[in-house]
Amino acid sequence: MRFLPHTDSDRTAMLETMGLSHIDALFADIPDEFHLQRGQLDMAEALSEAGIVRKFTKASEKNRNATNTRYFLGGGTYNHFVPAVVDYVVSRGEFLTAYTPYQPEISQGTLQALFEFQTMISRLTGMDVSNASMYEAGTATAEAALMARRVSRKKRVVIAGSVNPRYRSVTTNYLSRLDGECVEVDMGCFGTDLDRVIDAIDGQTACVIVQYPDFYGSVYDLAPLREACDANRCLMVVAFSDVSAFALIESPGAMGADIAVGSGQSLGIPMAFGGPHLGLFTCKQKYLRQMPGRVCGLTKDADGKRGFVLTLSTREQHIRREKATSNICTNQGLMCTAAATYMTLMGDAGLATVARHSAVALQSLVSQLPAHVTAIDGAHYNETILSFDDHVARQRFLGAAQANDIFAGIPLEQLDSSAENRHLLVTTTEMIEEADINDYLVALEVAK
Amino acid sequence: MSESVLNSNDRTFKYSATNGIQHEEPLLFEHAHEAPESIHLPGVEGDIPDALAVFSRKIPANIPGLSEPETVRHFVRLSQWNHGIETGFYPLGSCTMKYNPRVNETVARLPGLAHIHPDQPEDTVQGALELLYEVQEWLGEISGLPHVTLQPAAGAHGELAGLMMIRACLDARGEAERRTVLVPDSAHGTNPASAALCGMHTVELKSGADGRIDLDVLKANLNDGTAALMMTNPNTAGAFETDIKEICQLVHDAGGLVYGDGANLNALVGLARPGDMGIDCLHINVHKTFATPHGGGGPGAGPVAVNDTLAAFLPVPRIVKESDNYRLDSTSDASIGSILSTIGQSGVYMRANAYISAFGRQSLHKIAEDAVLNANYILHRLKDVYHVPFEGVCKHECLLTDEIQNKHGVKTLDIAKRLIDLGFHPMTVYFPLIVHGAMLIEPTETESRETLDSFCDAMLEIAAQCEAGNTDALHEAPVKPFRRRLDETQAARKPVLVWPQ
Repeated sequence: MRFLPHTDSDRTAMLETMGLSHIDALFADIPDEFHLQRGQLDMAEALSEAGIVRKFTKASEKNRNATNTRYFLGGGTYNHFVPAVVDYVVSRGEFLTAYTPYQPEISQGTLQALFEFQTMISRLTGMDVSNASMYEAGTATAEAALMARRVSRKKRVVIAGSVNPRYRSVTTNYLSRLDGECVEVDMGCFGTDLDRVIDAIDGQTACVIVQYPDFYGSVYDLAPLREACDANRCLMVVAFSDVSAFALIESPGAMGADIAVGSGQSLGIPMAFGGPHLGLFTCKQKYLRQMPGRVCGLTKDADGKRGFVLTLSTREQHIRREKATSNICTNQGLMCTAAATYMTLMGDAGLATVARHSAVALQSLVSQLPAHVTAIDGAHYNETILSFDDHVARQRFLGAAQANDIFAGIPLEQLDSSAENRHLLVTTTEMIEEADINDYLVALEVAK
Repeated sequence: MSESVLNSNDRTFKYSATNGIQHEEPLLFEHAHEAPESIHLPGVEGDIPDALAVFSRKIPANIPGLSEPETVRHFVRLSQWNHGIETGFYPLGSCTMKYNPRVNETVARLPGLAHIHPDQPEDTVQGALELLYEVQEWLGEISGLPHVTLQPAAGAHGELAGLMMIRACLDARGEAERRTVLVPDSAHGTNPASAALCGMHTVELKSGADGRIDLDVLKANLNDGTAALMMTNPNTAGAFETDIKEICQLVHDAGGLVYGDGANLNALVGLARPGDMGIDCLHINVHKTFATPHGGGGPGAGPVAVNDTLAAFLPVPRIVKESDNYRLDSTSDASIGSILSTIGQSGVYMRANAYISAFGRQSLHKIAEDAVLNANYILHRLKDVYHVPFEGVCKHECLLTDEIQNKHGVKTLDIAKRLIDLGFHPMTVYFPLIVHGAMLIEPTETESRETLDSFCDAMLEIAAQCEAGNTDALHEAPVKPFRRRLDETQAARKPVLVWPQ
């Protein structure tokens, strides 16, 4: 077995050193009845390395993917461009095969990358501080609600209907086993009426969670919500799904967020059929000690040289156990390094280009829609809802588009079971070119 | 080459040590020049619509940006300050830092696996679903718990999912008053934290004199409020819970369920199955047992395997197979719902699938055999000079303490830091909490006898230095790496988590 360095004579010699004649002696503490017959599990035969490559290539070739199909899919996962350098950096064994940097003297590479990541994420989101990642956006949103309950010492949580249904589902699931009410505010079909959310806030409310840009891609001012939060001493949590937006439009911090959470998958991380992605978690400095997850901080070594360590660990499960701010331990560390590398390659200018191209592509598509398809009004970043006459028309279009190598959008009811089955969540990124939009528009003709 | 060169008594090669060619490297934010727009991006040119322009960001984020050659050099220099499993021995107890096969990285990056969207039509991702379904079934077979969810993103997330299922099961039995989770004092810190997040409370069980669960203590704490026992087997002292059958029976008789923390599955894989022993629910750390890279803290994956009792409560969506077709099924009345916005850390499972494929049915047990052999070999070589708190064979990790070295004023931390100078990553220190000055050593199966001997020699040399009263170097260590001991107190007192603008 090529991953096991011992020869049989090594094994025998090692056993002899211990005065043993057979490996079974080392398993004598396991009751006999639980010993398996070796090699009898119902599993596949061992494969050679060549066999593994063949098997995976065969499976891979069954899947349509972004190298052969145009993706107008979003809803939390985005086909942004991933520069080769990002994958190279995270493939380096020193980053890839390191453990959590609990021994800082020999982990300064991971630690400095985390510090740079935290700094850039704070700047991009307009927030004071960032942690060193959560699993993904849904669990980050749930953790934000839990943190707001600790900060405010109140228990009621209000979630706007404009938040991604999956983030809502995970959040309400997390909260459902704890004391306190969790209210989901119906904002109607693609509704942007924040007054309905504001009306749901009361003096007992720990936080209100909104998404910006919202699940349907709409962008609107959160100032009225901020006022309502202040009046009720309630925290404003802003969720987001495509962080690339904030190189173009005002950040959650500028909108007044106390906590901003969401996905960082857009920052150089492949879609990878749902993960591993990157959960971002940021907040105001004054709430730092209630933040979940690991953070990296600046310090000095014994010679006075600058260095970095994981810090504020008294919030964490390995010290505080049941009183910890979260149970999270393993996080998405490597994805932080990926995102830091991506942002470094991009800089302000590159990030702004990504965001502008993503938004302009949507505008180009929407401005050329035929009469039998409508998009929702108002300001949008890179996502919107297209509505068709009926389910049949939409399905006809999806089929025609796919036949021309286009994934044209996500049927809305696939993400939100309450939605009518004639809507499509459509998304653009900088990977969409004019020619793709033209082909999309041609396919739309069949929906008439 | 002269004889004297060949035979020089040079110690340079005894341990790999560290004499690197590491470069100092400033923070990104300290690179002095203005950033060029170095990257050429595709896409549609034009102006954004007026409606969106109203919300334009007024002050740029101030992300510095470097050219591509500078970016590569920056991060390559940072990487060279890290110890990884590819660099050297990484004997972290309870972390299973084994070699991560490179072919797994290659196959996970195939375009049909890496560049696919979780919401594209199911008939266009059959290959990916097939690989996920396959690993899901294998995990069920390996654990002896046939129903598996791949949704939990990490071990602690799996704990939460498992406890949610246990709670739902008890509620369905009309026993909503059962909210106490019994947790041995040797448990991982995530166990009580996960129980709290699930709206349950924990009662700590004091371990017996042999480091194992004390049956009398367990019996005394079982009652009508007991929801579950959360146990790790082998436990974090490296010992197999020999009374496992009786433990599970006692908990079941009291109306509770048994949760297994699968962090230590590497000791059993292919040789024995938690499900056969009476465990109802087990999370598996695929980034430990199944060799997916730790990435400096993650990503991992924490799939949960359960028996028939808990199957109805698994999270949705589930990956199901119908004739030759794979699909995601979200219909289940009793399900605990979803605990992640996607189906799981698919890319991690691709690597795990490749790893298991390499061993296959024939060889899987060799993982556990060599892992346990290696841990016992280290224990055997060190037991006369380091204090061994619990007698007997260990499983895949062995536990020592600093009791003997403490007499010379040397602590576990000093020993750990001295190992760094000798070229090794330290073992897990000060865990488990049930012994003073714990050193938990887990070599894994992918280390050669040469490496194990070298590590043991280093440990013996440190112990000899203590006996000789030559302890200054131990307190000073490490002196060789890029940075020496870091001031953690200062970091926590006035936290600086971002570089100022």
